[in-house]
Amino acid sequence: MVRLMTHNLLACHAKGCTTNNFPLALKDVQIELRESDFNPDFLKGFLPKLDWPALVLAARQLGDETLPLQQPEMLDDEFLKNLHHVLLEIHIEEGSMTCPNCAHVYPISNGIPNMLLAEHEIG
Amino acid sequence: MKSKYLFFFAQAHHEFRLPEIQSLCELYGFEVRFVEDEPDPTKPFMIIEMEKEEHARLLAKRSILIKAVYDYYGHAATYEELHSINMQNRDKWEKYIPDTSFRFIVSAYNHTIPQRRQREVVETFAYMDFLGKIDMKTPDITLAVFEEYNLRHGVTRAKHEGDGAFQQVYFGRLVVTGSARSLIATFDVKKRAYFGNTSMEAEISLLMANQTLAAPGTLLYDPFMGTGSMAYPTGNFGAMVYGSDIDGRQMRGKGDTPGVYKAAHQYGISSKIADLCTFDVTHNPWRRGDLFDAIITDPPYGVRAGAKRLGRKRDLTPAQLEAYFEHRTSPTADTQPYIPPTKPYELSQLAVDLVLLARYLLKPNGRLVFFLPTVNEEYQEVDIYSMLCPGMEVLANSLQDFGSWGRRLVTIRKTTAESFPPPTFESKTEGGDGQDDRAPAHKDFREKYFRGFKEAG
Repeated sequence: MVRLMTHNLLACHAKGCTTNNFPLALKDVQIELRESDFNPDFLKGFLPKLDWPALVLAARQLGDETLPLQQPEMLDDEFLKNLHHVLLEIHIEEGSMTCPNCAHVYPISNGIPNMLLAEHEIG
Repeated sequence: MKSKYLFFFAQAHHEFRLPEIQSLCELYGFEVRFVEDEPDPTKPFMIIEMEKEEHARLLAKRSILIKAVYDYYGHAATYEELHSINMQNRDKWEKYIPDTSFRFIVSAYNHTIPQRRQREVVETFAYMDFLGKIDMKTPDITLAVFEEYNLRHGVTRAKHEGDGAFQQVYFGRLVVTGSARSLIATFDVKKRAYFGNTSMEAEISLLMANQTLAAPGTLLYDPFMGTGSMAYPTGNFGAMVYGSDIDGRQMRGKGDTPGVYKAAHQYGISSKIADLCTFDVTHNPWRRGDLFDAIITDPPYGVRAGAKRLGRKRDLTPAQLEAYFEHRTSPTADTQPYIPPTKPYELSQLAVDLVLLARYLLKPNGRLVFFLPTVNEEYQEVDIYSMLCPGMEVLANSLQDFGSWGRRLVTIRKTTAESFPPPTFESKTEGGDGQDDRAPAHKDFREKYFRGFKEAG
């Protein structure tokens, strides 16, 4: 169930595709919302690993505008709750992710993205 | 103040006992001291010194192998000696004399004590002079005597023969019984909503989960997810787990809801499956490293299922390659969905790659926990050390013995805070210290297994 946390961690890895290969563009997505345990410590620890602009872009594309464009310095409870919702509770069930550079399409079906490469795309 | 506790372990997986205790101590952030300089891991009794009784309770709540923990009153080779030690430890039990209800249990390891002598043994403790009432059902305290006998497996003997000829006798007060062992039944593969022929048995997967220090707020990854055996116990301990597999069918099973989610739902941990992805770990899409607290996996070793990676055993001829591209660029109506070809992934290469991948993907202090099958006669400790790379250190290496072969649960820690580039999965010399050319006992395991572990002839 591709969460936006996962979307933020996946880049196109086709042979030679090393620049402009992230974030993957979401297309024709169906989303579902599912509750998840709120863990502020996990979120604070995970924040430095995120690509913030990519996360905000993906969230806004899916209709969630609760996150500020600039990553705030103060991590208040409201912000963490919004971040929790965006990262962990929005699930992409169907659709695809397209590489902005090489246009490889990674399909998502039943919530599982197929990130396999074709034989001419591997090193 | 430090105090001694008598640990009684389940008679299973004895090589896993010490690593499990040590891992849990790290998880909860306290230290223990093994009273014997070199504790014998094959014995079910172990005396461990701890700061607080609370620590014993934490261990017993999470450890899969602890059956019970006792406040240690003494142990000796004879009852005479035991009683004299126990009398010196009067301050430990004095407070129970006036009005604490109690019971005695007398039991033996590798032996059954006749009931009559059990009563006689209890009577020898009369000098403790407990005034509270005896309550066999719900006593305030339980005092336990254990006689430890040598293993006399396969020797025909009369009932109770050799009674009293024990090696050691232990005495203590029950503090807590281990409660995590019941998880073995909870996670029983046979009762699981989704499993496959390579699913890992519940007890071992729980032991592995403890080696990862799984806890709420931690993020784990299984690069050979299969049917998700590692995700359920780690998820149960509160960790979020990513899973990937080159073959999505293993994670999906039949029906619309992927099988891994069905099983996770059964255990009430659906939200702990971070996500599932189909990809070959040697061509992985992770955008960055330093992500995971632990990598936990049971890589396929070729007996029931073999590890695969993308590629062809033989390269395509130019003509085939042309046909392939034509097929790819202009598919016709009856073209089947493209499934990339795979080739076998040799186990010793996989092991080296896995350590390099872990160094890239783990946070500092993160752990790699995995199983490696090995041929027991050929195995040498160097097999494990030769797959290490700088910045990775072996914490534990325990054998589950199946006779001529076995599998080793290996726990490796990332000791460096340095960031490393992603591995290339190609160079044979990239990992390992390369100091000697010995082929590890797990190399070509599949071939050795089907040859019955005889020399190639």
